[in-house]
Amino acid sequence: MPPRFGNLDLKTFANFASTIGGFKTSELVLKGARILEIHNEIDDDPADALIPRTMHPAIPAYAIINVMHAPESPVGPFSIAEVRIAGRTGVRPRGFVLRSYCGSEAARKELSSRWGFPMAPGEVSLTLRHDRVVGKVVAGGVTVLEVELVDRDAISGADIQYIASMHLARNSEDGKLVLVQVDPEYTFSKAERGKPRIVTLDAAAFGAAPHLRLMNPIMASYATADMTLPRLRYICNPELPAMQGTTKIAA
Amino acid sequence: MKFGLFYEISVPRPWGPDTEKVVYDNCLEQVRLADELGFDNVWAVEHHFLEEYSHCPAPELFLTACAMITKRIRVGHGIIVCVPEFNHPIKIAERTAVLDLLSGGRLEVGTGRSATWTELGGFRANPDETKKTWDEFVHCLPKMWTQERYSYQGRSWSMPQRTIVPKPLQKPHPPMWVAVTSPGTEIDAAERGMGSLGLTFGGFAEQDEKVKRYRKIIRNCEPVGSFVNEAVSTVNFLYCHEDDAEGVKIGKRLTGTFNYLAAQLLAAREAYPTKSYPSLGLLPSLRHDAAGPGDESGAPEGIAMGNPARITRELKKWESVGVDRVNFLLNALETVPQEKVLASLRLFAKEVMPHFQSKGDAAAAAAGGR
Repeated sequence: MPPRFGNLDLKTFANFASTIGGFKTSELVLKGARILEIHNEIDDDPADALIPRTMHPAIPAYAIINVMHAPESPVGPFSIAEVRIAGRTGVRPRGFVLRSYCGSEAARKELSSRWGFPMAPGEVSLTLRHDRVVGKVVAGGVTVLEVELVDRDAISGADIQYIASMHLARNSEDGKLVLVQVDPEYTFSKAERGKPRIVTLDAAAFGAAPHLRLMNPIMASYATADMTLPRLRYICNPELPAMQGTTKIAA
Repeated sequence: MKFGLFYEISVPRPWGPDTEKVVYDNCLEQVRLADELGFDNVWAVEHHFLEEYSHCPAPELFLTACAMITKRIRVGHGIIVCVPEFNHPIKIAERTAVLDLLSGGRLEVGTGRSATWTELGGFRANPDETKKTWDEFVHCLPKMWTQERYSYQGRSWSMPQRTIVPKPLQKPHPPMWVAVTSPGTEIDAAERGMGSLGLTFGGFAEQDEKVKRYRKIIRNCEPVGSFVNEAVSTVNFLYCHEDDAEGVKIGKRLTGTFNYLAAQLLAAREAYPTKSYPSLGLLPSLRHDAAGPGDESGAPEGIAMGNPARITRELKKWESVGVDRVNFLLNALETVPQEKVLASLRLFAKEVMPHFQSKGDAAAAAAGGR
């Protein structure tokens, strides 16, 4: 088995963990969600400190920067932006979410308590221009993230593959830290891709300093899709490899 | 049916000063034995940067070494990545010709385009272009091998008139193959009169359908080369042991290790949205099929693991769906000790190969090697 595992400092990251109210949440459909996603390679060895022991690093390591606007939801419209580190839980591609910024307090509460999103307050915007799509996060009056898709080019939604997320959360029932797998489903109505441009990425604001070092840009995509946040199916012990510490909680 | 070996050359961490040397030496020892036992061919992949999974970026060198220590086994240079950032077509024509000369006309040429971002990104190749450049390269190569003077003005590359030397020993040129991973690539192979070098395990039903489609289309192909290489090859694992339960147990460890390793790589499609890679390619198929349902022994359907009787039964099924050749992965991360790999090869040659050979071929296998 590959001996390279993540070595995230759980004690430090526990400070960012949300409290999840059990694992029996129902689905939530976010109709017409607009999603900007940037893929960028990152420095391999330090990135091992950005994923838990549950995961293997991707080869090469890369970060996924995702900015999403949901125009309608039970808690009203909201935007969310996050940085994930791609890896594998066992043989499955997964992205460990460092932190999720969102301006809507109601959305933060909903997403953290039901799916364990590691929420932080911040104003998130997703702006369309003719030549680019811009995603931005301002937290505490400071721009902590600004990314762009440049030179928009139409593609098929079938060409896009989003990988599932892993959220470090604290279970309200026993107070233990747990990794929650969240694997949304998407029905695409529109998709584009273009060159990625990262204007600002404040690694410290995502709890990733000094380990997150941007390297080779890969690609940016932008899509409109009905996004279904699913029932939770798997949780993992963040201190064990996925092959040993995964629990199936629903079919 | 013919049998061969298929090398990714995976090297386990931790990497000591001679870890890679030991793995390469083990592979060469296996090839030497396989030659004596009557195996027909040995293939080596071209992969770059795939740490642990494959430390085989220069298969032509490994295959030259293979050719130097063997007498009969054919050497399969595959999969040559037909993408300009990886390989210039002139260099491909030249080095394959040299390998054919040095091996005494034993070369098979496999072609492909890479399926991982790890490699494509590493060479700064554009995933959108790889299918197109592959097509261009495979049309050029036979002419570069056979024409005394050659010039070309194409889409992805060009050259003024020159004499490309040397020429291959095999006339008119070595057989050409296409690596088939994505669904439909067997059609690309058939339309161009090339052999289908399957790299996914696939189930029997899926393979049956693919082979029928391939055989039907190749009847009316426009061959890229001077002849049609109608042949269907698949890849498989091999672990053969007198005790069926032991064979299945070690075989499953081998397949599990390989598939786990494969899953750590970054498929082109995962990182880079493009219609050029409609599926995740090789990796998910390997995982799914080699871990698929089997019988009560736990051996997955179609995989050559267990005792000789079981392996013969599974390979007969492949034969029945029209597969001409099966190439075996013998190890992954040195999970199986070298002496067990060699014993497995010997037992396979002695007990399984005779069921698939003509009388003339059986002599070497029956001898069981040295």
